[in-house]
Amino acid sequence: GPCEGPAPTAPPEERPFGTGGPAAGGGGAGLGRRRGAPEEPPPPLQAVLVADSFNRRFFPISKDRPRALLPMANVAMIDYTLEFLTATGVEETFVFCCWKSAEIKEHLQKSKWCRHTSPNTVRFVTSDLYRSLGDVLRDVDAKSLVRSDFILVTGDVVSNFNISKALEEHKLRRKMEKNDDIVIAMDSATSRVLHYQRTQGLKRFRFPMSLFQNSIENVEVRHDLLDCHISICSPQVAELFTDNFDYQTRDDFVRGLLVNEEVLGNQIHMHVTTEEYGAHICNLLMYEAVCSDIIRRWVYPLTPEMNFTDDKNQSYTHSKHNIYRGVDVSLGHGSVLQENVLIGQGTVIGSNCSITNSIIGQNCRIGDKVILDGAFLWDRVHIADNVEICHSVICDEAEVKEKVKLKPRCVLSSQVVVGPGITLSEGTVISLHPPDEEEDDDDQFSDDSGVNKQESKVKLKGYNKKDVGSEGRGYLWKANDKNEEDEEEQRQSLWGEEKFSVEESESDSDLSMGSEEPDSRAASPQLDDIKVFQNEVLGTLQRGEEENISCDNLVLEINSLKYAYNIGLKEMMQVLSKVILEFPLQQLDANLDSQNYFSALVPLLKNWTPLFKNYIKRASDHLNALFAIEEFFLEHESLCTSIAKVLMTFYQLEILEEDVILNWFSLRDTSDKGRQLRKNQRLQKFIQWLEEAEEESSDGDQD
Amino acid sequence: MGKRGGGSGSGASGYGAQWGRSAAATMPGAAERGSELSEQIEAFVARLRGGGERPRSEDTARQTLSLLRKIIAHGRWSRAGELMDLIRTEGQRMTAAQPSETTVGNMVRRVLKVIREEYGRLHGRSEESDQQESLHKLLTSGGLSEDFNTPYPPLKANVIEAINELLVELEGTTENIAMQALEHIHSNEVIMTIGYSRTVEAFLKEAARKRKFQVIVAECAPFCQGHEMAVRLSKENIETTVMSDAAIFAVMSRVNKVIIGTKTILANGALIAVSGTHTLALAAKHHSTPLIVCAPMFKLSPQFPNEEDSFHKFVSPQEVLPFTEGEILAKINVHCPVFDYVPPELITLFISNIGGNAPSYIYRLMSELYHPDDYEL
Repeated sequence: GPCEGPAPTAPPEERPFGTGGPAAGGGGAGLGRRRGAPEEPPPPLQAVLVADSFNRRFFPISKDRPRALLPMANVAMIDYTLEFLTATGVEETFVFCCWKSAEIKEHLQKSKWCRHTSPNTVRFVTSDLYRSLGDVLRDVDAKSLVRSDFILVTGDVVSNFNISKALEEHKLRRKMEKNDDIVIAMDSATSRVLHYQRTQGLKRFRFPMSLFQNSIENVEVRHDLLDCHISICSPQVAELFTDNFDYQTRDDFVRGLLVNEEVLGNQIHMHVTTEEYGAHICNLLMYEAVCSDIIRRWVYPLTPEMNFTDDKNQSYTHSKHNIYRGVDVSLGHGSVLQENVLIGQGTVIGSNCSITNSIIGQNCRIGDKVILDGAFLWDRVHIADNVEICHSVICDEAEVKEKVKLKPRCVLSSQVVVGPGITLSEGTVISLHPPDEEEDDDDQFSDDSGVNKQESKVKLKGYNKKDVGSEGRGYLWKANDKNEEDEEEQRQSLWGEEKFSVEESESDSDLSMGSEEPDSRAASPQLDDIKVFQNEVLGTLQRGEEENISCDNLVLEINSLKYAYNIGLKEMMQVLSKVILEFPLQQLDANLDSQNYFSALVPLLKNWTPLFKNYIKRASDHLNALFAIEEFFLEHESLCTSIAKVLMTFYQLEILEEDVILNWFSLRDTSDKGRQLRKNQRLQKFIQWLEEAEEESSDGDQD
Repeated sequence: MGKRGGGSGSGASGYGAQWGRSAAATMPGAAERGSELSEQIEAFVARLRGGGERPRSEDTARQTLSLLRKIIAHGRWSRAGELMDLIRTEGQRMTAAQPSETTVGNMVRRVLKVIREEYGRLHGRSEESDQQESLHKLLTSGGLSEDFNTPYPPLKANVIEAINELLVELEGTTENIAMQALEHIHSNEVIMTIGYSRTVEAFLKEAARKRKFQVIVAECAPFCQGHEMAVRLSKENIETTVMSDAAIFAVMSRVNKVIIGTKTILANGALIAVSGTHTLALAAKHHSTPLIVCAPMFKLSPQFPNEEDSFHKFVSPQEVLPFTEGEILAKINVHCPVFDYVPPELITLFISNIGGNAPSYIYRLMSELYHPDDYEL
């Protein structure tokens, strides 16, 4: 696609080391029968918003406030996400909350999303039991919340994408191959994701050779992409999570799907966008970067003065050098706002301050001669005189006393007090929660770790005056634990992040749906293998018939055979059809008569319908099955007369679809025998009947 | 008073509930219509705020008028005063959503003026006396302010009728301006314009039907709407040249006339127009080339330029410097302003749908279009 940049040339050091992949999922869509059912109007677009990160990257900040509610440019992250969804045309959003769900709920209920005029209906699903994204999606499936394609995002995505194009592509793909795949967020044209790897500081990567041996022509390796965690999913995604209870995260899912692509026939596509902005706030440096981007208007129209949340306290004026001022802001004599500054409502700033590249929340008090450079102050923060703060985050109601200096990357979480007169070294993290409390806590999956029960413990310990100053309150968090490694990763992605999402990994850039697949796989397995495989399948089915084994188990056995002999989907289809059609021949021995044959076949077909449905998903599968049927009847000319009945049975059992049958029938490039076969009277009658039925149904649509 | 039922703010909801009860008995379905209306307003505001695909001012004007007509038809009011409050509240919301779309505010003011006039007529006051407030009259009359409290049942129908007339007037604006083209463009002239304006396009095309002339289009980076303009003009067999904005001064000496469109005309006769226009106007002034502005009357806005009112609009700098240039973005500031302020002394003539006017006359047109009390919404 034109939007794919010449990425691979960029030296890796300068690039963000794209993290994960946007896309995802997929699932085999059952082929519903269309006959007679008039096309329904497209169902409303739905979204699943997961308002929990299921990790503790933002500790200790997220102990006091769920990540989705962290303010970015004084607006909660989740508001950006919802605005993005609404602008995309989502009409119904399910918000899944776990950690601090009550706070999230309260926030949203007060926001414009819950007003009756909101075009996007927000519904809450709360449970303390969710431990991962997998749990959430399994619940989506269990409650059958989604009816059609949906968008999956986390509550910390800031974006001004218009994903309608990606959606269109997704729908188109679904139409072409009825079974489908999920596009993880954005991908370009038809790019399918073949391999996917997080870089996480690795300098060497391994790619399986098979990637390049396949007959797909172009494989592109990209490592310059940033995953913005927006996924467009087919409803089957949720089902797949249910089927594979070991999937915990999206990464598991993507990996699992890529590995099992052949088995399940699901694909992942990605969409790369270079025009718009999208980011997933996964760590503090990312937070800082995205905040500055908002102030610098990269996310237009989601800029502060637009007040998209429609909140009276959030009205700002925008003046030159990107200075945003709320209502009732007072600025002392001699204080200078240099550039890229946002000041929330009711904040009072003393005299002779110098403020640049900073965001200041509502109702803060800032003293005289304060220097703020890259400071992110949340609401009601108190800063005394002569304080210097550089590239740090200071949370709600924290207090910084006189003459304190904060070096870069310090974090003061809620209600912490530091000072007076101390200097916090680089990367200091101070919280009211003692750092060791979490060690007793084995639950590492969610943001929460039983904060409340630790409350009493806190009081037992005194604050270390060396760390926080003589009047300080708070505990020093070791800077070298996991935050450190996050920061390592963060530092790399700080400015390199492109505004687009998506995977690093290779995506092959040209791959037209449907057609390429049979070709690419056909060459691989040896003919002998197919023969042996066919015998094995026959044996399996015989046993199934004798011992009355359920279809599910048969599928399992056939799947493992398929693996053992390395059989592609196309061969699989042909072998299966052939074996089943030949099945009655053995029972009937020499007594070949089309009437007998047919009556023996029908109960078998009925029994094994689920078997077929499991494998026949795409239009190409249908066609393959039909070819196998055709081949069979060409080999057994005496049975030719029953072909129409057999097809009819397949059709009635909803294994084959009418348009595919018609399609097959009208194929011109067949052998002479094939043409002969098509002249069979009964077959022609059957086709005619199908055509008429279709016309009727399309007439019905018009009414 | 007069807020939509539960539409905005918590204060309104209690009030709306009361209303709902009393109204339910008399007109069933009114509440439904009310909420449908507020949804439409909400959608309109959201569209303005998104403001992605550069809406035409004429479309915005038409949409605003139709929406206001719906508010008048379905809103809850019984007296002219209530109606004006209602229109004003909604108008404020709509204008606040995208201050640079001044057309919205202008249309709200036009409707307020219409209400005043219709009320005045029903009140038995001749139009003349209202229009011409002479110094003498100002001195002699005591309390000038009216209370708009007398209920007149035909008011609603009259106001809606007048708004329909406004809508009809909107339809013809571009043609009315284009009709004057032959008076201004002569054979073999070199005309310069910048960016893309539908009004200017129609104006030039109309002249090209009778006369041969050459057009130079400044491309108007970074959005380069000038390219589209050039394509459209050349399709009409007008000899067209595209050049970069930086070359404006260089070619100005060859230009006979500069004809441009604008987003807004301010009360002092200044323009808010696409960025690059100021450069163009200064170059024209230096070479004493006449600068003609084609703009329909609905672009007249009774506001004055100042720092606080953000007429200017800064969009994502993506077009100026792609975000993929990650490394340098940390060190520099990139801005992408959409509009320029062009002071009135650089403008020779305004051509509107009612004829040509000098910038110094704009204040007069303004007082005819809008009531002075409505300048501030």
